[in-house]
Amino acid sequence: MTRKQKRLSVIGGAMAFLAVASGLVFYALGQKTSYFYMPADLQTASVEPGQRIRLGGLVEKGTVVRGAGTEIAFAVTDQVHSVRVAYSGILPDLFREEQGIVTEGVFRPDGVFVADSVLAKHDENYMPKEVADGLKETGLWQHAQ
Amino acid sequence: MIVEIGHFSLVLAFALSLVQFAVPLAGTRMGEARLVAVAGPSAVAGFALTALSFAVLTAAYVQSDFSVANVWENSHSAKPLLYKVTGVWGNHEGSMLLWVLILAFFGALVAWFGTNLPASLRANVLVVQGLVGAAFLLFILATSNPFARLDPAPLEGRDLNPILQDIGLALHPPLLYLGYVGFSVCFSFAVAALIEGRIDAAWARWVRPWTLAAWVFLTGGIAMGSYWAYYELGWGGWWFWDPVENASFLPWLSGTALLHSAIVMEKRSALKIWTLLLAILTFSLSLLGTFLVRSGVLTSVHAFATDPARGLFILLILVFFIGGSLSLFALRASTLSQGGLFHPVSREGALVLNNLFLTTAAATVLTGTLYPLLVEAVTGDKISVGAPFFNLTFIPLAVPLLLAVPFGPLLAWKRGDLWAVSQRLHAALGCALLAVALVWFFVDGAGVLAALGIGLAAWLMLGALTDLAVKAGVGKERPAVVWRRLKGLSRSIFGTAAAHFGLGLSVLGIVAVTSLEVERIEVMRPGDTVEIAGYTLRFEGLVPHRGPNFTEEQGRFTYFSGGVRAGEIVSSKRLYTARQMPTTEAGIATRGFSQLYVALGDATANDGVVVRAWWKPQVLLIWIGGLVMMAGGTISLLDRRLRVGAPSRRRARPARSAEAPAE
Amino acid sequence: MPFWITAALLTLLACLAVLLPLARRRDGAADGADSDLAVYQDQLAELDRDLARGAIDAAEAGEARAEIGRRILKAAGKADVAGARGNGRAGRIVATLAVLAVPLASWGIYAAIGSPNLPAQPLAARLDRNPAENTVFELVARAERHLAANPEDGRGWEVLAPIYHRIGRFDDAATAWGHAIRLLGSTAAREVALGEAVASAAGGTITPEAKAALERALALEPRNLKARFLMAAALAQEGRGDEAAGAFRAILADLPEASPWRATIAKAISDLEGGPQAGSPGGGSDADAGGLISDKDQAEMIGEMVAGLDRRLRENPGDAAGWQRLVRSYVVLRKPDEAADALARGIDALGAGSEAAAGLREFAAGLGVNAKE
Repeated sequence: MTRKQKRLSVIGGAMAFLAVASGLVFYALGQKTSYFYMPADLQTASVEPGQRIRLGGLVEKGTVVRGAGTEIAFAVTDQVHSVRVAYSGILPDLFREEQGIVTEGVFRPDGVFVADSVLAKHDENYMPKEVADGLKETGLWQHAQ
Repeated sequence: MIVEIGHFSLVLAFALSLVQFAVPLAGTRMGEARLVAVAGPSAVAGFALTALSFAVLTAAYVQSDFSVANVWENSHSAKPLLYKVTGVWGNHEGSMLLWVLILAFFGALVAWFGTNLPASLRANVLVVQGLVGAAFLLFILATSNPFARLDPAPLEGRDLNPILQDIGLALHPPLLYLGYVGFSVCFSFAVAALIEGRIDAAWARWVRPWTLAAWVFLTGGIAMGSYWAYYELGWGGWWFWDPVENASFLPWLSGTALLHSAIVMEKRSALKIWTLLLAILTFSLSLLGTFLVRSGVLTSVHAFATDPARGLFILLILVFFIGGSLSLFALRASTLSQGGLFHPVSREGALVLNNLFLTTAAATVLTGTLYPLLVEAVTGDKISVGAPFFNLTFIPLAVPLLLAVPFGPLLAWKRGDLWAVSQRLHAALGCALLAVALVWFFVDGAGVLAALGIGLAAWLMLGALTDLAVKAGVGKERPAVVWRRLKGLSRSIFGTAAAHFGLGLSVLGIVAVTSLEVERIEVMRPGDTVEIAGYTLRFEGLVPHRGPNFTEEQGRFTYFSGGVRAGEIVSSKRLYTARQMPTTEAGIATRGFSQLYVALGDATANDGVVVRAWWKPQVLLIWIGGLVMMAGGTISLLDRRLRVGAPSRRRARPARSAEAPAE
Repeated sequence: MPFWITAALLTLLACLAVLLPLARRRDGAADGADSDLAVYQDQLAELDRDLARGAIDAAEAGEARAEIGRRILKAAGKADVAGARGNGRAGRIVATLAVLAVPLASWGIYAAIGSPNLPAQPLAARLDRNPAENTVFELVARAERHLAANPEDGRGWEVLAPIYHRIGRFDDAATAWGHAIRLLGSTAAREVALGEAVASAAGGTITPEAKAALERALALEPRNLKARFLMAAALAQEGRGDEAAGAFRAILADLPEASPWRATIAKAISDLEGGPQAGSPGGGSDADAGGLISDKDQAEMIGEMVAGLDRRLRENPGDAAGWQRLVRSYVVLRKPDEAADALARGIDALGAGSEAAAGLREFAAGLGVNAKE
């Protein structure tokens, strides 16, 4: 091989490598990302049972029911619509009624959202950003300060 | 009055940083040596003033001076002294001041120890440092002044966010910032080289130790942050692919690439332009990290109070420095002379491969981190890119790189012999395959992936040891000669081996805990037991307890191994009274490198409590590996060659006496 | 003034850092090519060391040496960039500007953003002043500091506890009474105060914990008036209105004629009988309840109180709990229009989108009052 061929093969190898890597990235972006919804969005958007999404909103007052063992059921609301959520496990420290939270999981065919993670934020004043944006859009929440 | 002295010296430091930027720059343009000489003393004085300012703020925290708004917002008189001090950087304003302090410190170090650098290079480096410092000092004074006052002063503070009241997080930001800001020196060197239009031979020698030092700190900062998240958040996870974590991981990836390409540049004068670009990119990613954390544009579990106005200011700084340096690079890079050539199969070739993988990995992580922003800006949809994305893209890039690591140090410069190297690695490969087989057959619950992962870790560690053995001549020489040669090996060789070994340890911990972890969630009442990974965990009951600034319910557990009492675990739910904020304190029992991790949930109706318990096999190795990597970097840093920017003492001395009046 | 002197000194030092290098006569800058040569020579020396140690073989060393040699030749050919001298006058102008910029910029910016007249106020120093100059809050902080150092000082806790209660720090009051009881022993008065603090901390609800304290108080002093009153209030809160009314009446029977408590208890009884019976037409009022205020007087009294509350809310419209009380009062008085009006005004006053307004709306809905759309 001449020096030029050698250099070309090295550059070609690097290009092929980058192509594979970016293909992987695009595939993963298509498959492995989850959309964020507020309860109101679900009125219009079609979310198939089994499709992974993130659901945000406030924990509706008076809906938190602790079942047998570690089962917990509650409703997530944006003050207009609400969605029932089932979760099993330990809730975050700052999980309370009317606290903004983000849950991640899938819908069961009966319309109950089965969450496998529930996030509340570190800060006691904190409202998750998406939830705050969503509530602001609907005019239901103003910043406390 | 003393508070205002701190405030004033911060303003003065800003004025000096402007001088440090403008005067020497004019000096090098006009060929005025006296103007150039201003760079050093103004950098040193700027550091002294910033340090004074920081000391004053710390004193205000220690004395609970609530007339300082920042102290009132983030401190409390009942807080333990340690957390009063660490509270200084546990908030936005204070942490930005720490950032600038470290920047000024590195600038002063360049001024102190750079006396044997060519004067114009040293001046230009300090010019760039001065400009970065001026931008961030302006940011602090304009949008996040830690010395804003309250009159009349409140009597009690609002306390530091309790989850920040922890020794892990007390040390995490300073280490992380030492890393982030350490790369600013590499950046300044790169920009200085572009301004001058040439790269001196001393350039790489200077950049390498800074890269190494910054990398050591950044590694420590990331490891500390990960360990903190692991035990403090009570979720038992050690890495979440969270935007803020990615923000620190990105400069680490490109910094690691820079570390390796700087070797090629120093030894072989090759890859000059690429190294320059990496130095710029690494600091740009550090700035991006600061921006992401401080602006709150991305949702993160680590996001504390954030403010869009500040975000905009940092964004401007970001655009200015990244855009400016990259434009300068585009304009000037072609004027720099290219260096030596090499064969694809060679040490240089291996390091290029390393760079290719690391930068591609950094690019994928960056894509995943910024993609939600992009989608929201374009379509308005809110999406999240989480662990599944990163696992799918990052791991396929990391695994081939890890497989290749043991080959690198064994290849010769310029033209290597892959076959010969493979033969030297036979023993390591054999042992690694044996490890795969042993794990596969003898460890319960281990799948193919677990066995292969552990084999990969073994391959990395054994490969690092093989490197030392080959260089010491094991198998070729008598033991006495081997010992003598081993002692004679340069520190950077030990450093390399240690860092690669540490990488193997971390991989071992990650694979073990990911694939062999056991989790139980149960409702337990006093006296109940749960079996987990051969241990019996018994819940003894809840006991109320009162700490200095919190009250807590302690869940007391006893655990037994084979029927024998092996120890106690206390896991608690705390309530910090000043902010009425609850936290979970996980209870952790360490067995060797493995841990039994117990977190308490809510009380249930029938007097029970939800308990989440994990068995985390070999989990400590993740962070011990990080420590070993840090040790490797430090050993390398102590190498004689890198300690002196240029050459030997004899040569350095006349240069120093010529520069001495500048001090 | 010490601040200005210190600031002036700092400025002077900063100016000197700029001035000194400018004032000094200097030789030409260090030579770039020289330092390159030094690096290469060091590389050669290292190569020799590696060779001597056997780390590389002779052929490799020879090749490397040749390469370094080539670089040395190249470096020697380079012209020195930093050697040229510029013209002195432009330099002097830049120098003068720089020295002036430091004090001007720093004093200018500081004058705009600093608070030079505000002294530092470390907490310890503030608390160590003459107690007469301290505010109540400073005195509390002082007492807290004392108790943090001497947590076994029961008297101290007992003095501090009621002050906590008065300034609204009910949780701390409860803790302080707990300490006082632990250290000084249980008395009816302390237990009652503990119960009251716990209840206040819970927003007026008499929690099981508060009840336990009250029961301990009653065990020590069965006739303790306040404990009996609060226990009766607890019954009322649990919805056991008849039992509560009976308990109140028993207290009333024990009270001397002139006691200031009589009115309070009478009001409590009338509340009990007015509240639940509002919706139940069958339940006639207990006519022979021992000299109680007549229904008419009672209605008048309540009417006055409600009017007062209404006035107060006009002056201080941010009081969410007050609005709830007002709406409830109108419901109790069976004035649905006024109730709806109060609700609408309350929502306005609290801000239509606010959380407090939502709370008020919900509260009113619970009473059957709905906001007009």
